Order: sequence, then structure tokens, then C-alpha cells
Amino acid sequence: MDYIVKRTAFAIVTVFVAITLNFVLFRLLPGNAVSGLRCQHCTKQFRESIVKQYGLDKPKLQQYVIYVERLAHGDLGTSIADNRPVWDDIRTPLVNTLPMIVVGTVISIIIGIISGVVAAWRRGTAADSANLWTALAFYAMPTQWIALLVIFYIAIPLGLPASGIESNTLGILSTPSTWAVFSDRVSHLFLPALTLGVGLYGEYSLVVRSSMLETLGEDYVLTARAKGMRNWTIVWKHALRNAMLPLVTLIALSLGSIVAGAIVVEDVFSYPGIGLATIDAISKRDYPVLQGIFLILTMSVIVANYIADLVYFKLDPRVTE
Amino acid sequence: MSAAEVGAVTANGSLLEVQGLVTRYPVPRGLLGTLRRQEQEHVHAVEGVDFSVGLGEMLALVGESGCGKTTTAQTVMRMVDADAGRILFRGRDISHLTQRQLRPLRREMQIIYQDPYESLDPRYRVRDTVAEPLLIHGIGGKAAERDALVVQALVQAGLEPPELYLDRFPHELSGGQRQRVAIAAAMVLKPKLLLADEPVSMLDVSVRAGILRLLDELRRDGLAIVMITHDLSTAAHFADRIAVMYLGRIVEEGPAKDVVRNPLHPYTKALISVVPKRDPRDSTEPQILKGETPNPIHIPSGCRFHPRCPIAQEECRSIDPELRRPASAKSPEHRAACILA
Repeated sequence: MDYIVKRTAFAIVTVFVAITLNFVLFRLLPGNAVSGLRCQHCTKQFRESIVKQYGLDKPKLQQYVIYVERLAHGDLGTSIADNRPVWDDIRTPLVNTLPMIVVGTVISIIIGIISGVVAAWRRGTAADSANLWTALAFYAMPTQWIALLVIFYIAIPLGLPASGIESNTLGILSTPSTWAVFSDRVSHLFLPALTLGVGLYGEYSLVVRSSMLETLGEDYVLTARAKGMRNWTIVWKHALRNAMLPLVTLIALSLGSIVAGAIVVEDVFSYPGIGLATIDAISKRDYPVLQGIFLILTMSVIVANYIADLVYFKLDPRVTE
Repeated sequence: MSAAEVGAVTANGSLLEVQGLVTRYPVPRGLLGTLRRQEQEHVHAVEGVDFSVGLGEMLALVGESGCGKTTTAQTVMRMVDADAGRILFRGRDISHLTQRQLRPLRREMQIIYQDPYESLDPRYRVRDTVAEPLLIHGIGGKAAERDALVVQALVQAGLEPPELYLDRFPHELSGGQRQRVAIAAAMVLKPKLLLADEPVSMLDVSVRAGILRLLDELRRDGLAIVMITHDLSTAAHFADRIAVMYLGRIVEEGPAKDVVRNPLHPYTKALISVVPKRDPRDSTEPQILKGETPNPIHIPSGCRFHPRCPIAQEECRSIDPELRRPASAKSPEHRAACILA
């Protein structure tokens, strides 16, 4: 119980630090939202009125208080590019990205665990070294390059869609059924998710392998064998469960790189998710939107770590100490 | 011990009989070595070991680190495959059985390991650790039945009252309690043979005696125990028979009293001379062996002990002595592998 309280307090403090950094970082940049406005005919008065409108004339501390206050009300601000609330601008990309990231992560975890377990069990054999080199290679490959390979060698031969989130032709002739829309979305989501998964799995595989080697050498695994337990039962009940602990931390920590991967993957596949929205906001210097995206991403990393801490608590009885 | 159980042991009355056991580990050559077709070298962990143990008997396998004691136990348990020799359990050679064929036999032979901090899964409660062997072998169908067996095993292992321990995790127990849990998890299957691999060497001196007394009680109840230890005084106190190992071979074997009071092999003599004396006025000089234990990859020719032996003679370099009863032995079962004994 103590542990949960501690972790929760820790997460809340981290959120505050993230919010503050998010505020400070963008104010550290030279100029402000108004100096970024590229209009030659704007009068001084006009600029001043805009400065007032965004509250930029107030002292920084007061701006910070206002920012936090607005956040507390769920108000992320207004986009400079299209004058819409930031939340409205990033909601749809977020909803598009989420399933892609989840499927990609699940793919990477499944491939990572299976290959890591097999490699550890067959340690020193050709299967082990083959897996080691493949995992290292995919780990080292830039994600955008994997994306290109996926397009060349999977999308084109199999005729899978390699760009966008839905077919343009869908719904032209008639209103498509829910199932048609769903399968269309899934087929568009699959390749970006696969790319993300393949790009991530190498690291997981290596970690599972080394952590499995450690637990397989433990005496309790020997004991289970001596008691007559079947090999795969030992792997499942004793070795893998204890080896999962480092993986849980790693997955939570790598959420940041998953998002980074998602940005380039979405760029290659023109997938209208949060990555593409980020690139768009950067090119338009739309600071409020960027700030909103950053905030949501940091928050999700913090939340993921918080969940990992709680899962850890479930997985390892020793954590309470 | 019922008559049927006695009938199930080998002809000479032992439950486990090991004959000419050889276990070697290949030394990794590396890629270059393989390409150059370097000769495959082996660590000669166990080189022709014979021993036997009967029901209600405790055999102590004594020797220094790296002499092959643990490998012997692992090979007998078929955790490691033997390169030669026979392992007769209840008169049946189990050295070539498949793991599947071995499974029912595992119920009757159990092992406990040196380090109770590692031999228990940290995620398993005591209840689950002790119940696991029952589940593996499908004993005690209902949960309540299993629980009763678990409680019984905990009591037998001296963890009383058992309710206090059932739902604890290993990290909440002391070293001695953990080792008792390991013993309970072994005894819950009611095995005939227990291999104890240095069961007390990781424990505080204060709890060692308790664990050893527990093993002694189990032996009295008819269990056959092979205890591996490097502590000759423990062996002398608790074991019926002692087998002294050196570099993968048993160099002396016999009833515990005879081996300790009348050691025949110079290695045993050296071991006994360094056991701390109970009487501080006892001024017999400890006999420190010169040199290091030879590399088990390249075993010395002739008698494997001759490079360190204080009484070695010229022929010791060439004659590899067999384990036999020397003239100086007082009991007929006392054997040593030394041409000078």
C-alpha cells in the first residue's frame, strides 16, 4: 500500500515537472508567437493587441499560473495556424495513432519474447546466433528505412495499402458497412504497426534473452527440473515470469522511442496520426499545438511508467520492501 | 521400512549404486579453434566414480571445491548426462533413460541445493513451492488434500506452526527457514533418495546444526541420503559412510569412523589434519598441501594426487591406483586408492 502511495505521489510530481518544463522550454526560445507572425502590413497596434490577446504582456510567473489554471480545466490553448482549440486539432490524430502504436508494440513484444526465449533456451546454437544478429540488425536499422523495406517487399508484392488511413474509393458508390470500414482501417494500420514492431523487437529480444539466461541458470529452475517438471512448463512458470521484470520496465521506458518511431513511420506511410501532426505543427511553427502534443506525449510516458510500477508490484513480491 | 521396499533395492542391498561414472564437460574452443581443428579438450569433472547408498543410510561425499562432488550429484539426478558408467536406482540402470521415462522416477529421488536464497522461486509463496511437486506428479487431486500434504511436509521439515509459513514469500524467511522449505518441497513427494548438495554451507553456523539434525532424523526414518560437503567434521558427525573425492575420483571410502580415525590415503590425512581441533592444547601440526589442485583438463599421469602428495614415490607417476582394501585397513569396507596405504 505504502508502495502504491509513493509511486502515485512520484508520478504526480513528475507530471508537474513536465508541465513546468513544457512551459519554460517554449518561453526560452527567442521571440514569441507574435514575432513569429509573418505579416508585413501589421501595425504596431495590431501586434500589441495580439500580444494582449495571448496574455504575453503579463509577467512570466503570471503566465505560468494562467497556463496551469487553464490546463487544470482541460484547456490546451488555441492553435495559431487555424485558430481552433488545440485539443480539437490533435484529438483525431491521437485517436488514429493509438491503435497503431498499440498493435506495433504488441507485435514487438510477441516477436521479442518468443525469439528471446528460444534463443536463451537454445543458447550457443545456430538458432541463438541467428536470432542475435537479426535482432541487432533490426535494432540498428533506422525505422524509416525499415518502413521503405516493408513497402518494397511486403506492401507491393501483397498489394497491401502503404499510405493513408483509409481507401479513397471507400464509400464512393454506397455507404460502407461498419465491417468494411473496420477492415479497411486495419489493413491500413497493419504495415505501419508492423514496421514499428519490427523496429522495436530487437531490443526486447536481446533483453528477454539475457534476462532468461540469468533466470535459467537460477537454482530454482534446476530444482524444478529435478522435480520432473517439463521444460516448457519450467520456461513458462519459473524462468520467463522472473525474466519479465526487466522487460516491463524497458517497455514503459521505450514508450518515448515508440512515439519517436511513430513520427517517422507515419511520415513514410502518410498515416494521419500524431507524428504527422507534429511534423505539420513544426513546419507551421504552431507552438500551442506542439506544446499540447508534447504535453500529451510526456503525460503518456509518465502514465506508462506509473502502470509499469504497479505491474512490477504485482509481478515481484519483493518490491514492497 | 517394509519388506517390499527392501526387495526393491539392488542385490547388495543398496538403493542407489553408481558404477564407473564418468562426466566430462567439453571446453569451448572458440571459432578459431574449431577452424584450426584444435583437439576438443574436456574438463574431467568425474572420472570413474563408484559408490552406493542404502535406505536409512547417509553417505557423505567429501572433497574440496572443483573435485566433482556437485557434478556427481547432477549426473546421478540426470541433470547432466554421463559419458560412461551406470547409475542403478532400485537395480535399474537409469543412465540412459529419456527425460520422459525419468519423470516418474524423479518422485523417488530429490535434490536440495546449496543456496536456499536461489533455489526458491522468489515469486512463489511457501505453499506454492511445496505444492508444486505434487502438481507436477499429479498427487493429491483436490486442493484440500494437497494442502494437507503440504502442511505435513512443513511440519516434517520443522516449520511449525505451518500456518505461519504457508503464505510467506522466500524473502520473508531466514536462510535456515528457506532451506527447510526446500527440504519440505523435496520431502513432500516422500522420496527414497535425497541428494543434499552442501545443504548447510551457505547458512549461519547457528542454524547449521538444526538442518543437519533434520537430515539425520529423515535418515533414521528410512531415507537414503547422499550429502555433499567440504566439511569433514560435519561428515564425520552425521554420515554413516564417507567417500573422499579428489579430482573426479573417490580416493578413499569407508565407514565414517574408520575414515576419520584411521585415514589411509595421504589426501584424507591432510584434510583431517586441518580440521580445527576441539582441544586447543592438541598440538598436532596441520599438514598443508603444497601447490594448487591441478587443472581438471589435464589430469596428472599415474596417481592423480602425486604432484601434491607428501609421500609420493617414483612409481606413483605411472601407476593409477584403484580403490581397494589395503592391508592397513581395520574394517573390511574401508578402501583407499593408494599404493602406499
